[in-house]
Amino acid sequence: MPNVLVSQTLALSTPLLFAAMGGYASERSGVVNIGLEGLMLTAACAAAVAAPHYGPYAAVAIALAVTVLLSLLHWLATQVYRIDHVISGMAVNLLAAGGTNFVASLANAASSDVPHLPVVGYEGVALGLPFVVFLYVRATRGGLRLVATGADPDKARLAGLVPERVRLAALIATGLFAGLGGTMLVAYTEGFTNDMVAGRGYIALAALVLGGWRPLPTLVACLAFGLMSALRIQYAGGTVLGVSPPSEFWAALPYLATVVALAGLLGRGRVPAGLGKS
Amino acid sequence: MRWRILALVAGAVLILLGALFISHVGPVTALSALLKGSLGTAPGLTESLRQTTPLLIAGVAVFLALRAGLFNIGAEGQLIVGALACTLVALRLPGVVGMVLGTLAAVVAGALWAWPAGAIKAYRGGHEVITTIMLNNVAVLLTGYLVAGPVRAPGGDTTTASIASRLPNLLKSGGFSVSLALPVAILAAVALAYWLRRTVTGYELRAAGANPTAALYAGVDPRRTAVRAMLASGAIAGFAGAVQVLAYEGRFYSGFSPGYGFDALGVALLAGESALALIPAAFLFGALAKGALSLQIEGVPKGITTVVLALLILIAAALRSRGVRKVA
Repeated sequence: MPNVLVSQTLALSTPLLFAAMGGYASERSGVVNIGLEGLMLTAACAAAVAAPHYGPYAAVAIALAVTVLLSLLHWLATQVYRIDHVISGMAVNLLAAGGTNFVASLANAASSDVPHLPVVGYEGVALGLPFVVFLYVRATRGGLRLVATGADPDKARLAGLVPERVRLAALIATGLFAGLGGTMLVAYTEGFTNDMVAGRGYIALAALVLGGWRPLPTLVACLAFGLMSALRIQYAGGTVLGVSPPSEFWAALPYLATVVALAGLLGRGRVPAGLGKS
Repeated sequence: MRWRILALVAGAVLILLGALFISHVGPVTALSALLKGSLGTAPGLTESLRQTTPLLIAGVAVFLALRAGLFNIGAEGQLIVGALACTLVALRLPGVVGMVLGTLAAVVAGALWAWPAGAIKAYRGGHEVITTIMLNNVAVLLTGYLVAGPVRAPGGDTTTASIASRLPNLLKSGGFSVSLALPVAILAAVALAYWLRRTVTGYELRAAGANPTAALYAGVDPRRTAVRAMLASGAIAGFAGAVQVLAYEGRFYSGFSPGYGFDALGVALLAGESALALIPAAFLFGALAKGALSLQIEGVPKGITTVVLALLILIAAALRSRGVRKVA
C-alpha cells in the first residue's frame, strides 16, 4: 500500500509540477498568469488530436508549439495591449475551453485510438525541474534578469533591461512547461475530454502561491497536493480513524487545504513586488 | 495606436472565419442560424431571455466586486449554495413566506461563501482568484454530496423535491413568455448603477478599488471595504441562485448551474465601466448561449461561441486600456 501511495503521489503531482514551474517563470517576470489551466487544456487537446496522425513524439512537439503560441497571446495582451493580467488570463482560459471543445468535437478526439505518448521519464524530469529552475535563477544572468524584472520593472528598465523582452522569454518557458503538464494528462487517459484539466492549472497556481513563489517550496506544495489526490484514490469510501467520510470530502480536501493555508501565514508577503505592473 | 486595435479585430475575425472554414459552414449560414435560433423565434427569444436573467444578476455581483478591485470568480459557487439554501427553505415553507425567506437564506449563504475570500484577501494578502476558485470546487462537491444523500428527494436522482410556488410570468402570449425574474434582474443592475454613482458608500467602494492608498488617506479603510464588497457580491450571487430556483428550476439538482457564475465574469468585463452596460452584455451572452445550440445543429461545435466571447473580452479590454491607466 505505501508503495502504491508513493507512486500515485508522484504521478498525480507531475502535471502540477510542470504547470507550477510554468507559472513560476511567468509570475517571477511580473506577469500574473491565471491562464495555466487553459494552457494545459490546449496542450492536452492538441496532443490527443495530433497523435493518431503524426505519432506520439510529433504530437507532443505540436502540442508544445500550440501551447507556446497561446502563452504568447497572453504576452501580447498584457505587454503590448496593456490589458489587465487577470482579464487576459481569463480570456486565455475561455479561448482554450471553447477552442478545444471546437477542435475536439470536429476531430473526434475522445476516441481511444490515441497512441501512448512518450511519458517515460516525465516524473523524473518533473522532480528535477524545480532544482534546475532554482539553480538557473540563482546562478545565471538570465535568471537574475527574470527575477529583477518581476521585482521592479522600472528599475530593471533603468539597468538597461527591456521588461517586455524578458517576459517574452519567460512566457515561452511558461507555454513549454504548462504544455508538458498538459500532454501528460492525455498520456494517462488516452483521449481528450472537455474540461479534463479539471482545475489542475489553478491548483498549480495555488502551489506556487503557497510556495511563496520559490521553486523548492513549490515542489513540496505540489507533492502535498499530489498526496491528497492519491489519498482520495486510496481511501474514498473506506474508513479512516473510525469514520468513513463521503468521497466528496476527499475530493474537496486539496481545495479546503489551499483556503486554510492561505488564511494562515503561508505564502504571505513574498509576492514578487512588481507582479502585474507594466 | 488605432492600428493595434484594428490588428486585434482582424486577428479575431480571421480566427472565427478559419474555424467556420474547417467545419465546412459558410459565415452567412452560421450567422443566420445564430440569429434565428436566439432571436428569430418566440421559443428562441424566450430561452435567450431566460438565460439572460441569471447572467445579469450574477453579472451585477461580479461587477460590484470588480469596482472594488476584486475578481470574484467565485460567483458560481456562491450561486449554487444560494440556490440550494433557497430550495431547502422553500420546500419547508410554502407560498410567499417561503419564497421571501428562501431568498433571504440564499443571500446569507452566498455572502458566507464569499466571506473567506474577502477576508483572506484583505487581512492575509491571499489572492481572491485562487480562494474563490477553490471555494467553487468545494461548493460543487458539498452541494453534490447533499443532493445525492441527505436532502435527496425520495425516488429522485441527485435532486431535491420540487417547490410548490413559483415566481409568476410577467407576460405570456403564444410561445413567448417572460418571467418576472427578468425585470428583477434589470432592476438589480439599475440599483447598482445608482448606488455606485450616487451614494457615499458606493463612492467609497470605487475609491478603495481605484487606489487603496489614496482611499486610506481619505478616511476609507480599504480592507474593510474589500471584505464588505466581497460579502455584497456573494449575497447578490446567492440571490441569483434563489431567482433561478424560484422563477425557472423549482428545485436544486447536481449540475444546477452550467457555469452562470463564470460567464458572469465575462458579462462584467464586457460591461466595462458602466453598470447599466451589464444589461446588453448579459443579453448578448444569453443570446449566444441559446444560439450556440442552433449552430451545433448546422455542424459548428458550440465551443465557437466561447471563443467569440473570449475575443470580445480581449478587444473590449484593449479598447479601454489604450495608453492611459485604468481608473475605476
